[in-house]
Parts: sequence; structure tokens; C-alpha cells
Amino acid sequence: MAPEAPDVQPPTRVAHSIHPTIAATPLPQSRRPIVRVPVWLVFLGPTVFVLLAITVFPLVYSLALSLHSWTMGARAGWRWVGVQNFAMVLRADPYFWTSVRVTLTYVGAAVGLELVLGLAIALLLNRRADGRGGTVQTLLILPTMMTPVVVGIVWRLLYNPDLGFLNYVVTRLGLPPQHWLGDLGTALAAVVVADIWEWTPFMALVMLAGLRAMPRDPFEAGAIDGASGWQAFRYITLPLLTPTILVGVLIRLMDAFKTFDLVFVLTKGGPGMSTEVLSYYTYRYGFKFFHMGYAAALSYILLAIVVIISQIFVRRLAHHEVEL
Amino acid sequence: MRRQRKTVDLLVEIATGAIVLVFLFPVLYLILTSLKTQVDAFQYPPVWVFRPTFSNYREVFDLYPFGRFLVNSLIVASASTVAAVALGAMAAYALARFSFRRSKDVAFWILSIRMTPPVAAIIPIFILMRMLGLLDSWASLVIAYSTMNLPFATWLLRGFFSEIPRELDESALVDGCSWFSAFRRIALPLAAPGLVVTAIFVFIFSWNEFLFALILTATKAQTLPVAVTGFIRETGIMWGHMAAAGVIIMTPMVMFSLAVQRYMVRGLTMGAIK
Repeated sequence: MAPEAPDVQPPTRVAHSIHPTIAATPLPQSRRPIVRVPVWLVFLGPTVFVLLAITVFPLVYSLALSLHSWTMGARAGWRWVGVQNFAMVLRADPYFWTSVRVTLTYVGAAVGLELVLGLAIALLLNRRADGRGGTVQTLLILPTMMTPVVVGIVWRLLYNPDLGFLNYVVTRLGLPPQHWLGDLGTALAAVVVADIWEWTPFMALVMLAGLRAMPRDPFEAGAIDGASGWQAFRYITLPLLTPTILVGVLIRLMDAFKTFDLVFVLTKGGPGMSTEVLSYYTYRYGFKFFHMGYAAALSYILLAIVVIISQIFVRRLAHHEVEL
Repeated sequence: MRRQRKTVDLLVEIATGAIVLVFLFPVLYLILTSLKTQVDAFQYPPVWVFRPTFSNYREVFDLYPFGRFLVNSLIVASASTVAAVALGAMAAYALARFSFRRSKDVAFWILSIRMTPPVAAIIPIFILMRMLGLLDSWASLVIAYSTMNLPFATWLLRGFFSEIPRELDESALVDGCSWFSAFRRIALPLAAPGLVVTAIFVFIFSWNEFLFALILTATKAQTLPVAVTGFIRETGIMWGHMAAAGVIIMTPMVMFSLAVQRYMVRGLTMGAIK
């Protein structure tokens, strides 16, 4: 006679995915808790609590703040203005729209070129004999793992108009030296180049991981059918690589919209507003002018842009059944 | 045919070498500059052969409170790492082992926090820290970094935990272990490599972080990345000092990334690509 027979409880919801006999095994009488808290809640609880605290609080607080006018340090407290901050940003702030244009140019150019260059480098590395790949990959990832502020320092050094390496090369080629970071025409491109240097290795390694995980059969079938190199790439490699490309681009997009360190070190948003990305514009409103309400509205708009763009990608990924 | 193959292989090797050089050159240039005297640093065209000196490294510590910034960075990054990995491991275990209603939603919510631009969160957090009197303290940065990295740590660890065969903790449960001792005695030791990899990534992210450190600290608790931007002055930049400081900041990160190179792609894509 099984001693636990009268004690068998219906399996809890938690346990249904676990082995059924375990769920049905009752705890010894002495160790049975008085209040039944699902085990998963005990494990997950602290994290969910912390994350709720850091997401809900700032979001609600920011939303409240964005509906008020408040200059930090000023004697006057919060003044209710409704959606006026948002209306101002969207309809009466030409600098905001300049900043949007700068941000989209920056993100588009940087992420686009990183994808193309990263894919090209990955295809090249994939052709190499296996085994020696480790060293190359380790060396290559260095820019991505460097502290972004140091990336900024490195490129400021290279771009320096008087003693930078770039102008040395340019003058050796017989061209006039440039004021790379101080010229309206070149500043944004210069920051984008630094971003590309920092993040192309990341893209390349992600694409390489995708290429290495590919099945061989379709390529062999393609070779038998006489597919050219380009055809194999276009009709076999690219479709198989699409999920990887989406993951890489999504991650880079989310981070590129956050870019702040590089701009801070290289140009501080100048000259004029030529490199003033939205992160930096919001920062200036909040922590240089202390217009907290307005900055909160700006940050909400930035958040909305990032969420919408990320959602598009997440949907596409779900379509490809990639679990991110 | 064979000769053609060899030529292609050679070309591939040359191209690879050129690419590595392009990506390494700026770093080498920084290291070279850090070893130059101020006079050599201002030589134009740049000099490639010179007598290296470590005076910049000495001066960085002598002329600025660089030692203190270093200690700040170490303490903040270590404490944040411990907090984020400890909480993250528990949450990850729950997500990997138990399936409950809405577990997918929780998972997606955790991921979406990763998307939030820090500048959108900094205003309320700054005001909160000011109210709590925590501005310019280690605590403010530790709170900010450990929570910021918690979604990442949870997500990455979830992958590592789900790679451990279920049968192992199940048999521990059958043998009378509680869920907690199954977690502590079976799952945690088996996930040790994952814990180390996650810890290293969280440490790197905390060490590199700039915006929160810029806004939440002033002088006392300032970390290295913020401190080094203080070398950029209107009067000009002390390139030797700046380069030496840059090398000091990046060296531990380079070491760490060597340690996790096998998991690099996995860590940087939050486990989406292994």
C-alpha cells in the first residue's frame, strides 16, 4: 500500500510541464509550507519586482513630467500644461526635426554600411580554412569591446586637424587638410565612420556565425544544378541568412538610436546641429537647459520611435520563427 | 585548377590581413601616442620610431586623481555584476524550468526593456536619486547598472540553464531536494561557465557605461569614462595623458573579451545567435 496515496494532490499549474510523478509527490508533512507560493514566483519575483520598479516608475514619472512645465532649479514648481510640450516638440520646434533628420541619417548610414561591410567580411572569413579563425576573430572584435568613450578618443586623435593621422595621409596624397569634425560637410560622416569602425566587427562575427551554421545540402544541390557563385549567394545564402541579418540589424538599430558617447566625445552635437542626434538633443534640454518637462516629452518621442522600429523587426523575426 | 585554388587562398589571406590591420590600426595608434613624450606626440608628420616612455602613465596618476576613478569604476562594476547575475540567475532558472501562463509575455517584456534608450530613463532616475540624496555616490550607479543589466543577464542565463538536461534537477527533486537546493546544488554548478560569461559581459557593460555616470556623479564617485572626457579642455588636449588613460581603460576590457571569445556572438546578441 503506497503511504502517500491519500495525500495525492492535483498537480499544480507550475508542475504540469515537469515530470507528472514529481508533481504528484507530496512534500513531507513537516516541510509543507503554510502559504502556497508557486516556486516560479519565488525565483522570478525579485527580478520582476526590480524591473517593474525601474520601468514603471520612470515611465509614469516621465509621462507626468512631460505634461508639466518645470525648469529644474527654478523656484516655480511643476506647472500643468497638458500636451503642450508634445505639441511644441512636434509642431513648433524646427531643431527637433533637424535632430530627427540627423538621427535617421546617422542610424541609416551606420547600420546599413555595417551590414554590407560586415556581410562582406563574414563571407571572406568563411572562405578561410577552419582552425585559424580564432585569432582573426579575437583581434577583429577589439573595436566593439572597447569602451565607447575610448573609441571617441581614438578617432579624435585620428581626425585631429593639426597632428592627426588622417590629415597626414590626405596631405601625402596631395589634397588639402580637412577640419574633419569641425566642418559642416564632414562632421556627421566622420562620426558615422567611427561608429562603423566600432560596430562592423560585431556584424561580421554575427554573420559569420550565421554562415557557419548553414546546412551544406542546398549548396551542393545548387552546385549540381550549375548555379553560379552569385546565384548561390542570392538564392541560397541570402534567404538562409535572413533571420541572422534581422537579429544583427535589430540589435544594431536599438543601440544606434542610443548613440551618445561618441557624439559627446567627438563633436558635442556640432558644428551647428550637424551631429546632434536625438539622445544628445534630449540630454541638452534636460541637463544643460534643465527644461525637464520638455526633455521628458522628447525622451518619450524617442522611445516611441525606437519601440515602433524594433516592433517591426521583432514581428519579422517571429515570422522567421527566431526566438530572440 | 589546383594552382588557381592556391592563388584564391592566398588572396583571401591577404584580404583578411588587410581587414584586421584596418581595424587594429587606430588602437595601435592610440598605444603609440600613449608612449610618446608631448614633444614626440606633436611631431608632424607623425614619427613612428621614437624612444618610448611611460611618463604619461605615471603622470595620469600623479596629476589627476586617476587612482580614485579607477577604484570607483572597479567597485561600481563589480557590485553591479554581482547583483545583476545573482537576481538574473534566479529569474533565468524560473524562465527555463517552469512554464506558467504568460511566461512568453514576461520574457518578451524583459527583452523590450533592453530597447529603451538610456536617455529616456535618465531624467526620472536622476530626480529619484536626487530625492534619495544618492547623487555622486557608488550606490546610485550600482542601482542603475545592476537594474539596467538585469534583463540582459536574465536572458543570456536563460539560454544556459535550458541547455542543462532537465532530468538532472528532476532526479534531485525525486531524491528529496527542494527546488532551492536543486537550483543551488545542481543547476548553478552546471551553469558555471554561463554564469562566468554573463558576469564578464555585465562587467564590461558597466565599466563602459557613460551617460548615467556622467549625469549621476560629479567628482567623488566619477568613473573612468567620464573622468577621461575631463581631459578635453578648451585650452587643448593633453594627448599623451588622454591616450594613456584610454589604454588603461580599455586594457581590462580587452583581457575580458579574450576570456569570453567563444561566447562573444552569443553574449552580444543576447543568445539569439549561438
